[in-house]
Amino acid sequence: MIKQSILEEVLGVAMRSGADFAELYAEDTRNNAVTFLDGRVDAISDGRISGAGIRAFMGTRTVYASTTDTTRAGLLACAAAVADAIGREKDRGSVRLSPTAVADRHAVRLLPCDVPTKRKTDLLRAACTAACAYDEAISQVQGTLADVDHTILVANSEGLCKTDRHIRSRIVVSAVASEGGENQSGFCGPGGGMGMEFFDTVDPAEVGVHAAKQAMVNLRAGYCPAGQMTVAIENGFGGVIFHEACGHSLEATQVGVGMSEMCGKLGQKIANEKVTAIDDGTIPHAWGSVNIDDEGNPTQRNVLIENGILKGYMIDRLGSRRMGMPMTGNSRRESYAFEPTSRMTNTFIDNGPDKNEDIIASIEYGLYAKEMGGGSVNPLTGAFNFSVREGYIVRNGVICEPVRGASLIGTGSRILQDIDMVGQNLATGQGVCGSSSGSVPTDVGQPLIRVSKITVGGR
Amino acid sequence: MRLDEAKQILICEAKRLGLAEYEIFYMKESGCSAETLGDEISSFSSSEAGGLCFRCVCEGRIGSASSELLEEEALRELVGRARDNALCIEKDDPAIFYDGSAHYADVPPSTARALSSAEICDTALALQRATYAESDEVGEGTQSFVFSGGFETSLYNSHGLSLSHRVTYNGAGVQAVVRRGEEAEDAYEMGCVTEDTLSELPARAVRAAQSKLGAVEIPSGSYDVIFCPKRMREMLSVFCSVFSAKAARYGLSLLAGKEGQAIAAPCITLIDDPMREGALCTPFDGEGVATYRKSVIEQGVLKTLLYDLVHASLAGVAPTGNGQRGSYRQSVAIAPYSFYLEGGSDTLDELIGRVKDGIYITEMKGFHAGADSVTGDFSIESAGFRIRDGKLCEPIRSFTVAGNFFDLLKGVEALSDTVSFGTPTSFTTYGAPAALVRGMSVAGK
Repeated sequence: MIKQSILEEVLGVAMRSGADFAELYAEDTRNNAVTFLDGRVDAISDGRISGAGIRAFMGTRTVYASTTDTTRAGLLACAAAVADAIGREKDRGSVRLSPTAVADRHAVRLLPCDVPTKRKTDLLRAACTAACAYDEAISQVQGTLADVDHTILVANSEGLCKTDRHIRSRIVVSAVASEGGENQSGFCGPGGGMGMEFFDTVDPAEVGVHAAKQAMVNLRAGYCPAGQMTVAIENGFGGVIFHEACGHSLEATQVGVGMSEMCGKLGQKIANEKVTAIDDGTIPHAWGSVNIDDEGNPTQRNVLIENGILKGYMIDRLGSRRMGMPMTGNSRRESYAFEPTSRMTNTFIDNGPDKNEDIIASIEYGLYAKEMGGGSVNPLTGAFNFSVREGYIVRNGVICEPVRGASLIGTGSRILQDIDMVGQNLATGQGVCGSSSGSVPTDVGQPLIRVSKITVGGR
Repeated sequence: MRLDEAKQILICEAKRLGLAEYEIFYMKESGCSAETLGDEISSFSSSEAGGLCFRCVCEGRIGSASSELLEEEALRELVGRARDNALCIEKDDPAIFYDGSAHYADVPPSTARALSSAEICDTALALQRATYAESDEVGEGTQSFVFSGGFETSLYNSHGLSLSHRVTYNGAGVQAVVRRGEEAEDAYEMGCVTEDTLSELPARAVRAAQSKLGAVEIPSGSYDVIFCPKRMREMLSVFCSVFSAKAARYGLSLLAGKEGQAIAAPCITLIDDPMREGALCTPFDGEGVATYRKSVIEQGVLKTLLYDLVHASLAGVAPTGNGQRGSYRQSVAIAPYSFYLEGGSDTLDELIGRVKDGIYITEMKGFHAGADSVTGDFSIESAGFRIRDGKLCEPIRSFTVAGNFFDLLKGVEALSDTVSFGTPTSFTTYGAPAALVRGMSVAGK
């Protein structure tokens, strides 16, 4: 992408005023998305992101500058801005890079750019048509088929120089069911770290039907009652509960500055002993996987909680300096325009000892959250919330009528103790996580779990 | 590469490909920000970005493509991609590029000036010191930040339209973390960089964080609720797409076909003002249509939806200048400017005085997941204060408040007299007073 001699010159300028570390990140990304609405191709978005970000460290002080001008002159100006902001000019530093190849764990068979748009619109049409045909009450279907082709370069003053290319694909369908002046919606959005061969593993029509079916369930559902209940949360996107309730609080972004309820708790029992939680950025072709993180470190499998004991945090370079602990391959950013920070990749609660049928059978009265929506957390207090996309009342161990409009709220430290049954059908769901370094793709996951008591928002 | 060079390459390539109608939207932005931690600047960032979006008409459809790489080869490729994309579009909307409005209003002079790097750092440090000085309870995790920037948008098309506009902005924020015993709370306050704001922000953030300490849980039930101005304007931002003519057209807004009808309580008047002083203002939208101030709801009656060129043409009405473009990366999307509920006649104290037993809501989290603009439903994690006998009492937390936006509009009993505005996202800013709504559903302990 950028000549090695220019990279070395630019990093040298970034180091000239006494920085103890400098790094350049450059990217060339193509984002494509076809959107289907009202039975037709409504829009095609087609964008090329191209730019670089330069960062320098002095201890735990950082300066970051980004630019879309990736010419030698543009990069040198950007590096000079960084150097001027971090210290006073001294001797020009000298940086020698040793380029190393990155092993690709997520090799792609069919590049999105080699597939005509027509093929993509056909796949999307199949999904949206199936959703429309599901029931007469389905009044609108919106679908998007998106692919990202992302090439990055990371070079730093320690000599690291790596490039990597990452491809991901996703199809998202939302369906609206209407009756008597009321709307209800359903959603399905699988994705993977794959090229167009992703659609050999996912049937678009099933995606459409899933969304339509959910909209119909909600249209026929009454409002969820409010109050404290026992809740069973299903696998897949249900894992958003761990992502919000605990994952963010284990990121160095928070822990490194004392802004997490998980600070100083390594080695302590923070969860029920049935809970083992893992962040693994290496899973082949998973939505949240990458070969190297955005600081050039290989991703790895990090055990966060083992049998209820806190084992580790997710740590980027700045976090590593602040916390005096090694980096864990979790540094991520949406694009060159963002300074990277510690983020989750594929984060999940591992299979546990309980049989799924026993979990449902154990609930006298409660909620079965078959599918979760998104949520958010305040890592300082651990207070989190997330929405239930499809839920059912459980009575005497049997899943009964559907209810809509529910949300679950609580605090991370509390719910980790209250997860008292963990099932055996681990699966993941795809999400987009937003934080200070922008929006990044993350997988969440878990088997069916039981939370003994949690506040359910409804009416 | 300079914009005029890029433009020439695009126009040449368009001609070569036989494209007679095209449009170029260009945007260049720059900004700086500093963040503190403890007593030093922990991070300083600056950015320079520029890019463009090329749109063209091919076989009666509009296609587009955008790029930040402004090199000759990439630009030529861009024109071809836009054309190929047009050929894949199936909707048969009219393909309109705008000839220009007869008159573009003068934008009020920007009140926000661009700050130098040194000013940004000094201001952030001063805020941080002032925040720590507010109380011994202020501690680790407290952060102050200051930013400043500007952007310039330019729009050219083959109909002879040539417009450009530049804005500058700045802002400062404090996130105060307070600890008392085992308990920690934080609060976040933000505003423009003016002497008044800078002197108020630290105290506001620290007091807001302290006021949350010792919060208790409340029983589930039905409560009279006052949404504070910040939360009311957030509600407006979350459900703003229901006012889009495009959402209405596709059955994604329950306001479809309701223009001219009462959709809200008589105390509700909702304004869209692209020229409000203190906001980011623009004389033209992303399609070149002149912007203007309008009532969207007047005394409860829906006067108009918000239209871009296509949806105005389909509905047979004049465009409302709301076809916005936040960036070259985005296509035209219908959005408001300063979008705010006009204030009522009660002071906030008088409004609280109307409630015998209820809740004053100051925090709501997770709107992105817990609210659905298609249905209007929301169920949101909240915190605030108990109201008893018309007075604010103890802090409360860990409850959800649930309802439906359309019911809420109808159910507002009264509004406070002071409208509070948020910080802009692109040209859009939301504003609202506090709002009293009876009988909201609350889930607590």
